[in-house]
Amino acid sequence: MRGVTLNNIKSTYDSYQQLISLYNEKKGLLLETIDISLDQWFDANLCSAFGGILDSLQFGLNDINFNYIKPEIKTIIQKNGFLSHYGFEKIIDINRTTVEYLKLKKSDGRYFQQYVFSELLNRQELPEMTAELKKKITESIYEMFVNAQTHSETDFIYTAGQFFPNRHRIEFTITDTGIGFKNCINKRFKSNLSSVQAIKWAVADGNSTKQGIPGGIGLAILKEFIVMNHGKFQIVSNDGFYQFDLSGETTRLFNGSFPGTVINMQFCTDDESSYSLSNEIIPEDLF
Amino acid sequence: MKEITIKIFNTVGSSSCVAADDGQKVFDLIKEGLRKGQKILLSFQNVEFITTAFLNTAIGQLYRDFDENTIKNSLRVEHLSNDDMVRFKRVTDTAKLYYKNPEKLENSIKEVLGE
Repeated sequence: MRGVTLNNIKSTYDSYQQLISLYNEKKGLLLETIDISLDQWFDANLCSAFGGILDSLQFGLNDINFNYIKPEIKTIIQKNGFLSHYGFEKIIDINRTTVEYLKLKKSDGRYFQQYVFSELLNRQELPEMTAELKKKITESIYEMFVNAQTHSETDFIYTAGQFFPNRHRIEFTITDTGIGFKNCINKRFKSNLSSVQAIKWAVADGNSTKQGIPGGIGLAILKEFIVMNHGKFQIVSNDGFYQFDLSGETTRLFNGSFPGTVINMQFCTDDESSYSLSNEIIPEDLF
Repeated sequence: MKEITIKIFNTVGSSSCVAADDGQKVFDLIKEGLRKGQKILLSFQNVEFITTAFLNTAIGQLYRDFDENTIKNSLRVEHLSNDDMVRFKRVTDTAKLYYKNPEKLENSIKEVLGE
């Protein structure tokens, strides 16, 4: 059977398309060996999306076989623990630029918090950042994790990250293999939104599928933070692609669907902005 | 009547108030207190991180069960940073709008669909 080569996987539309094409080409298989090669480059944070796809393919009791991995890629994704899920040894990350790949159950929220603390907040290798910025990044990651727990109907949540010290960036990715934004919203409102319409609706302030409880603030807050931080975030859900950065929103459709949702966040670590708002809130006005 | 204190750190058992389930524990305590006509102090001492998902459940849904004046006159908070107060205020503002206009979300979907 024809193998698949993933080339130069970075957090771009084209790279997500390669992952989606892999999934769509192989998703109907049963009891087969799926041969995969990784060449040129693979952003370690995207192990999150890759892990979700490979797990979805393994529902057909298919065996995943890496028949070639470029040595530089292999080192990185052995260091972050990704390849440990596919029969390789884990190796120690001496430079400590990876954030461990994790496959979590939805109920593992407390464990996820410890992971964020040990892998992101408490790392000596972490680029120097203000305490305020660290708090903002952590809260953004928590918000997105809770969204996946609450809305996706997934069995597992996949997370991974990467520091890019020279570019002063942290990328962190959260993936679920659940129903996706489109199905979640259409199920709740009996509507027929496309994947891109659904994502754009979900990122608007106050829009939520929760019933009886207000919500829909987490993605809006992330968007506002990304503007101040000069970062970027992307959502891949079903066949929809959404990117938000300083230049605004970009949306596109994929050829084929991702089996769930990927949230990829890129934070700028040399940001010394003050995130305190000039208009202080007095406690009496809170309610 | 003596004011009671709900210590969020102890109720949740963590300095990270993240999950909606943890917010529900806080909500249940506040609701019980308000039903009994208590004044309640919410202490966020030793709390480091708060998500809106937690606050929506802990605080936002109070506006479903109690009127705004009761909430305003009965609750106060302490040890909340300005940044967290911004988040908190956003949650209460969103909750007030949500319960005042339950059709808003359905209507926003219709707008997207051009109906």
